[in-house]
Amino acid sequence: MWTLENLAAGAVCLGLVMYTVFGGADFGGGIWTALASGPRAPEEREGLFNAIGPVWETNHIWLIFVVVTLFTAFPRGFAALFTALLVPLVIALIGINFRGAAFAFRHFGRQTGKHIPFMASIFAVASMLTPFALGMAVTATATGKIDFVNGWVQAEAWFWIGPFTLVGGLVGLAICAYLAPIYMTVRTEGELQNDFRRQGIIAGLVLGILTTVEIPVAMVDAPLFASRLLASKGAPFVAMAVLSGATAMVLLWRCRFLWAQIAAAATVTLTITGFASAMYPDLLIGQLSLAAAAAPAATLSAFFSVLVIGIIILVPSLLFLYWTFRGEPNPELPRLWRD
Amino acid sequence: MDNILSARALMGISLGFHIIYATIGIGLPLMLMIAEGLSLRTGDELYHQLARRWMRPAGVLFAIGAVSGTVLSFELGLLWPRFMAFSGPLIGLPFSMEGFAFFTEAIFLALYIYGEHRLSRRMLFLCTIPLAIAAAASAVLVISSNAWMNTPTGFRLVNGALVDVHPFRALANPAWAHEAVHGTLAAYAATGFAMAGVYAAALLRGHCSDYKKRALTLALAVASMSLPLMLISGDWAAMTVAVQQKPKLAAMEALFTTTSGAPLIIGGWPDPASGKVLYGIRIPKLLSFLAYRNPDALVEGLDAFPHGTIPDPRLVHPFFDLMVASFFIMLVAAVWFWWLRWRRREVPLDKWPLRALLFASPFGLIALESGWLVTEFGRQPWIAHGHMRVAEGMTQQTGIDLILFTFVSVYLALTTVLLKLLLQPASIGDRAETIQGDRHVDS
Ligand code: HDD
Ligand code: HEM
Ligand code: HEM
Repeated sequence: MWTLENLAAGAVCLGLVMYTVFGGADFGGGIWTALASGPRAPEEREGLFNAIGPVWETNHIWLIFVVVTLFTAFPRGFAALFTALLVPLVIALIGINFRGAAFAFRHFGRQTGKHIPFMASIFAVASMLTPFALGMAVTATATGKIDFVNGWVQAEAWFWIGPFTLVGGLVGLAICAYLAPIYMTVRTEGELQNDFRRQGIIAGLVLGILTTVEIPVAMVDAPLFASRLLASKGAPFVAMAVLSGATAMVLLWRCRFLWAQIAAAATVTLTITGFASAMYPDLLIGQLSLAAAAAPAATLSAFFSVLVIGIIILVPSLLFLYWTFRGEPNPELPRLWRD
Repeated sequence: MDNILSARALMGISLGFHIIYATIGIGLPLMLMIAEGLSLRTGDELYHQLARRWMRPAGVLFAIGAVSGTVLSFELGLLWPRFMAFSGPLIGLPFSMEGFAFFTEAIFLALYIYGEHRLSRRMLFLCTIPLAIAAAASAVLVISSNAWMNTPTGFRLVNGALVDVHPFRALANPAWAHEAVHGTLAAYAATGFAMAGVYAAALLRGHCSDYKKRALTLALAVASMSLPLMLISGDWAAMTVAVQQKPKLAAMEALFTTTSGAPLIIGGWPDPASGKVLYGIRIPKLLSFLAYRNPDALVEGLDAFPHGTIPDPRLVHPFFDLMVASFFIMLVAAVWFWWLRWRRREVPLDKWPLRALLFASPFGLIALESGWLVTEFGRQPWIAHGHMRVAEGMTQQTGIDLILFTFVSVYLALTTVLLKLLLQPASIGDRAETIQGDRHVDS
């Protein structure tokens, strides 16, 4: 159980969870920037924008962490994934680029007032492209449709498009759209807070429906995955995710925003962990096991020694960061672009 | 375009794009540290203001550095999966360590930017130290994986399978030391000259102020201190290449035939058909001396290596000369400026020395890009020298030309908008400076 490759798989899963819970909300901000309507739409957009500005770059590093851990610890799996999933990953990358750049440009261009509407729309559209494509790419690993010939992946151009992965892409979108407004309820007040609450509830319902639909779709389109998900390994996570999702809805309904935020993050964490536990012990379901994809033991132990040293450096720095910016977010705080 | 050519072009363009932003991401933190340190030491507010003002455009540049770096880490898998399947266990480690350096950089950057009202001046200064260290560390680490491609170590191959894997030995491969030192210092030289050029341009336009003079002096001081180190470390690099990567040295110097007492050929066009260098200037025996410290030493030419294992000197020699020539251009401009500055004890505002600085200012980045082209083209046709050819490391996916087209369009779009933003007329008084502060992006 506690083999090095399982621990490394745990690190990949942790990276994926962190990226979704933090970075996903940033994408969700973009989605709601596009969907915002009604009299307070400009304030909603502004609020989303301000909340994401300072953090997206740090949150984004989790994605790098996932990619780097994959090629260090599972080089063969990394090669297979990036060969087979070339197209969706390129789409995700385009989205990541435009979104990051549009953000930075918009911040910079704010003072002059130019460019903003155009940029904002690129930012919004790109935000949808990335979670959808990444959702498809991640769920494609569970389809069992990646071909291997002589132990080497044989890329079939469009295998990654199917009912299961399409719903997977939508789930990716819904997760982002779900997290952002719920996180925003904690940072806003009054009418605006109520708007975000309503958006959170809508997105929560959509996410619930999509994940429920995904199960029968999986039975048809990804049968091995479905059987593992509903067996003893996956089922507890599914049950906990449902429970936690329902709790988040109730808390939102009753305006317990801080707790709703925690429950929402837990729901997403459990959904991803449930997916990962149904994949276990494979990296590509039924086709490439973690053990077969893993790097030599020397690399894995070196990787973990680096991880430990890195954490020793990182944790105090992070604590110092949060300690420095503790307390109420100070509006007087000098913003990067406004000194 | 065929797949392999597209993949190589895409990798090269992406790296060439990323390195501009990465360079600024390494050079600027050092400048911040020095400016904040001076402000503390002398109690002079102006230095602090200087540093704060640099932060504004830096945010945009850092963001593009981050997204273009993400493209690179994906491209390693999208374009070179078979290479990564082979080398991941060996070069993954420096990339993992680099990840922590990025985190550290992001944290202290956030503290520095948003902490103005929450931290003391001393604390702000102290934050710039880990910032500068983390930035340099990320360069040193990523360069380790490039050095491994040049001199792969830390493993044995038995029937195509990796055995005896020693990731830390791979990290500390033989080419790492010189590449890391020379490559990281290059970022300081390039950033320093680019920034000096911006202020030289402002002074030339007659907007003279204490602020600009101070900024010019500071940027140029950092750049000028790196210059002699560039020469020393470049010489070390060439001597090491002469031992470790002989075909690269031959291509760099356009030496077709093995010669003792080999001449140094400056400029010219290497012509593989005739095996001659057209129009080059020859300095007898200098290459033997520079490479081995012995004017009569034998230097292997391109003919010493089997057919199909040598790089194309037409791609390597001109870029090597461009790097070295850039060094001398920067040297002349810097020496002129400091000479006048020393004579007059005052920043010289004469037209010509400032024009010389302006002219020299893009050559740091030019040298840096061309140095990388020397390293990369000089390794061809290998992706991991002696073990795997570029073609063997490639993806089997087809249609890479489409991806090349897509990303070139993305980069063009990003660059266009960036330039439009940074160069648009300022709406707020003193922003002019900071906006021009980024002209070097396009140079
Ligand atoms: C500001 C930039 C700059 C300047 C002024 C110079 N270089 Fe350089 N050089 C680089 C920036 C650079 C670089 C871009 O940073 C490279 C690419 C890979 C590396 O490690 O550093 C490089 C590589 C590089 C290599 C190849 C190393 C390898 O592939 O292992 C050699 C032999 C030299 N340089 C030699 C010199 C010499 C003799 C210089 C003389 C004055 C010089 N460089 C100036
Ligand atoms: C940032 C400065 C760099 C520049 C400008 C640069 C440039 C290039 C160019 C032009 C090529 C294509 C060479 C050819 O096919 O003829 C290339 C290939 C490549 N580079 Fe670099 N490079 C840089 C740094 C790095 C680093 C640090 C790595 C570390 C992993 C790296 C990894 C690769 C790989 C894997 C290839 C593809 C294989 C090959 O063509 O040899 N590069 N680079
Ligand atoms: C010599 C070559 C390179 C140097 C010196 C370098 C250095 C840097 C630096 C300093 C940054 C921080 C950017 C900033 O804060 O502005 C950065 C970002 C990044 N680099 Fe590079 N890099 C090089 C090549 C590469 C290569 C070959 C890869 C991947 C294969 C890569 C991957 C990344 C990634 C993923 C980021 C973004 C991290 C984030 O999200 O903040 N870099 N690089």
